[in-house]
Amino acid sequence: MSGKSKAFTKEEELLLQDFSRNVSTKSSALFYGNAFIVSAIPIWLFWRIHLIDLYSNLISFVLVTLASTYALALAYKNTKFILKHKIAVKREDAVTKEISRKLAEDKKMSKKEKDERILWKKNEVADYEATTFSIFYNNALFLAFVIVSSFYILKTFTPAVNYILSVGVTSAVLALLSFI
Amino acid sequence: MKWHILLAAFAMLCIAAYAEEEEKAARLLVSKQILNKYLVENMDIVIKYTIYNTGNVAASEVEITDNSFHPDHFTHVSGELNARIDNVPPYTNVSHTVVVRPRKSGYFNFTSAEVLYRRFQEAPRLQVAVSSEPGEGLIVAYRDYDKQFSSHVVDWAAFAVMTLPSLLIPFALWYSSKCKYEKLLKNTKKH
Amino acid sequence: MNKIFFSYALASVIISVAFATDKVCLKPEIVASSYVTEDATVLTNVAFTMQFVLKCSNGVKGISLYAEVEGKLLPAARLSADNKYQISWTEDIKKARSGDYYIKLYDEDKYNAVRKAIRNGESSDSVSPLAVVVLNNPGVYLGPWVNSEFLAAFLASFVSYSAFSAKYKLLA
Repeated sequence: MSGKSKAFTKEEELLLQDFSRNVSTKSSALFYGNAFIVSAIPIWLFWRIHLIDLYSNLISFVLVTLASTYALALAYKNTKFILKHKIAVKREDAVTKEISRKLAEDKKMSKKEKDERILWKKNEVADYEATTFSIFYNNALFLAFVIVSSFYILKTFTPAVNYILSVGVTSAVLALLSFI
Repeated sequence: MKWHILLAAFAMLCIAAYAEEEEKAARLLVSKQILNKYLVENMDIVIKYTIYNTGNVAASEVEITDNSFHPDHFTHVSGELNARIDNVPPYTNVSHTVVVRPRKSGYFNFTSAEVLYRRFQEAPRLQVAVSSEPGEGLIVAYRDYDKQFSSHVVDWAAFAVMTLPSLLIPFALWYSSKCKYEKLLKNTKKH
Repeated sequence: MNKIFFSYALASVIISVAFATDKVCLKPEIVASSYVTEDATVLTNVAFTMQFVLKCSNGVKGISLYAEVEGKLLPAARLSADNKYQISWTEDIKKARSGDYYIKLYDEDKYNAVRKAIRNGESSDSVSPLAVVVLNNPGVYLGPWVNSEFLAAFLASFVSYSAFSAKYKLLA
């Protein structure tokens, strides 16, 4: 039994890898939408608390927000990709149990078909958990880095420079970190 | 702030001009300092007058008068702008402190105070001295001060409202799925 | 904000000095008002100011008064009104402690005795003051206790730390 499941895992992993490289349009939209919202939130902080001049910095707001959206979306994707494997392995037993219980009465279904169902469900669960966790993780890190850098590390800079550096560098660092 | 530099510069002014008089006399240096980081409308301004006697005899009947804080522009909080000190011994400091609050914002020129004193006990006439001048300062409107120095509690609360969904929603979704499957795994192990 | 303190003379026994009897204030009674700057966000120094009117049962007027606060000797400035005096001093914000400050008032003779005691390295307690006035410094306001950005940075760091450790667990 255990030998069989190990053999399966290798197959599955290949399958999963293939799946996660190509992010679906739906989850891509989710990533970009989320990244855009989170990238835009620091503008409030800089406007209300750092007292940045809104009109003269309009261009940098647009550019930094777009760059940060791209970088954050990249970070979401990479983090999700890394996590999905591990989560898939972790959830394997539970998903198998869940599906097996559901399909227990269905005697007509072949063993292969059941295994396919399990594989599909496992992929779905791992995708879901990896996506939600990746968004949470990167958002939390992004906001914390922006707050700490803008209020402590870059405190002495002018608000305009502070904004570009703290938001720009933070999103870039997150994108780079996500490759590791 | 620049008060200290101005103070040093104007301290020169205070030296009484009669150098030809005999040596046995008091000579007072008077400084007028403003002990504020910021001058803000309706907030305390601390003015400290320090009298230092550089002469070798005690100065007597020392009277400080400062007419530069007009009641129309300043509320007098504590301390009086006219004070007499009976005796300032040689080489000693005596200070007098007054607290006022500006009624209006804008530029205000802090001018000098006047000091009258006797250079020795039986001096026939009073000596006039002028304190240092703190100079012009900008009194900031309270609203502007508050904007810059308040703790921005409301702004931070709004920030929290904006950021929480982006953290809470993905976390809650992930956590519920995680719990669901971990629970499933636990239950199956028991069987 | 102005606190009025009524302080009655502690010194009931006044040793009259023969040659200055007419200048000694008998049964001194003091009515004082004081102000201590509290909002130190705009100040560099805390100002302690106290004004008082001295009443003597024998009607003595216009005597010189001195004060001792925290070991410092200060002359009292005479104000425009009769028998009204002011004692004031400033202290660096960081050094100013909160709590009660005891201002001991002395007349000329007592002041000389205090100075003599201090010169000889003795305590000034041996000289009974004319009166003691309590000036309370409730503590200066240096801005909010925890500033919001520190709290925000702390919370955000805490959340990202838990996110990080959760990720570490997932990858383990």
